[in-house]
Amino acid sequence: MRGGSRLAGVALAALISTSAVAASPLVGKPAPDFALKGLDGNNLRLSEYRGQVVLINFWARWAGDSRVEIPALDRINTTYHRAGLVVLGVSVDEDEAHASEFASAMRVSYPILFDTGPRIGRDYSLRTMPMTVLVDRSGVVRYVKVGYKRGDDRAFVDQIRQLLRE
Amino acid sequence: MNPHRRPVSIALRAGVLVWFWAAIGVAQAAAPAPAPEPAPTPAAAAAPATDPVAAQASSDAPPADFKTLDQEVQGVKKDVIELNKDLFVLEENLLFPANTQVAVYLSMDVGTFFALDSVTIKIDNKEVANYLYTAREVSALLKGGVQRIYLGNQKVGKHEIVAFFVGKGPHGIDYRRGAALTFDKGIGAKYVELKITDHVPKHQPEFVIKDWE
Repeated sequence: MRGGSRLAGVALAALISTSAVAASPLVGKPAPDFALKGLDGNNLRLSEYRGQVVLINFWARWAGDSRVEIPALDRINTTYHRAGLVVLGVSVDEDEAHASEFASAMRVSYPILFDTGPRIGRDYSLRTMPMTVLVDRSGVVRYVKVGYKRGDDRAFVDQIRQLLRE
Repeated sequence: MNPHRRPVSIALRAGVLVWFWAAIGVAQAAAPAPAPEPAPTPAAAAAPATDPVAAQASSDAPPADFKTLDQEVQGVKKDVIELNKDLFVLEENLLFPANTQVAVYLSMDVGTFFALDSVTIKIDNKEVANYLYTAREVSALLKGGVQRIYLGNQKVGKHEIVAFFVGKGPHGIDYRRGAALTFDKGIGAKYVELKITDHVPKHQPEFVIKDWE
């Protein structure tokens, strides 16, 4: 009985999770392209990573969950980078200097970009921070996760593995 | 469609077809025998021995039906590409008719004294384009590539175009320069080129806006 209710709970959670992913208007559509300046001063364009699986993490210094998520994404990048995964961190902080300081302190191994304009936020329907978007090898958005809780990185890994196999 | 899969699939289909015909041939050869348990005639016994040779020959050259089908598919694909191209041209003509069309192109020569980072274009004091360049894009420009940075509609008459070039100048210092041009938009399409060149005697980059008639 207890096992059955647990199973029902898991199924409900999976259903909620699936509906949250399916609810994103971005899923199944080409990822809006952008070019942004990076922490190291180099410009990066999303479309140049066509052919690789790209994880875009929109974060902000003021979003507490970002501080937990960034180290988890760094571990994912370290593990799957050689398999063809590209992780891009996009800061949406208006204050670029403070965001730059914060990003330097986090010491992540993946590129950190700074978005100070309104266009990308509008294109990706950014409302809650952090937000993670997975783009497949053909440049189509396949997964969107708004917010972050401990353990969400396991879902990211499952999705990444699936996309890397395609 | 994966092009690497096509020969395999054709060979497979051909193999299946050969097997099918061989099976029919065996059935026909066996049918005239009157006895309920017919002993294999020399002709029937010889038939399976000759079939693999025929199968081998058939698998080397696909049947004409499949060849025609493949040609038809290729033809349809070609038509789709042609249609797509025509649609693109029609869309461009519709959105940017020649009588109002203004196109701005960017080219770079040498680039020893300037590392391009971004370009902003204003027409009549209104920002119409802002482009951030990656290392690969700059490399493509330096190899002779020309980028269409802006395509839009402008009324007939005089217009002022101002371009701001941002990047690293000589000795790696931050560099921001502007160039302006007043052009007369006539009835036909207008083409303007932004050129970044090296001024060797001055050891400085040079930014020129050229009006193509």
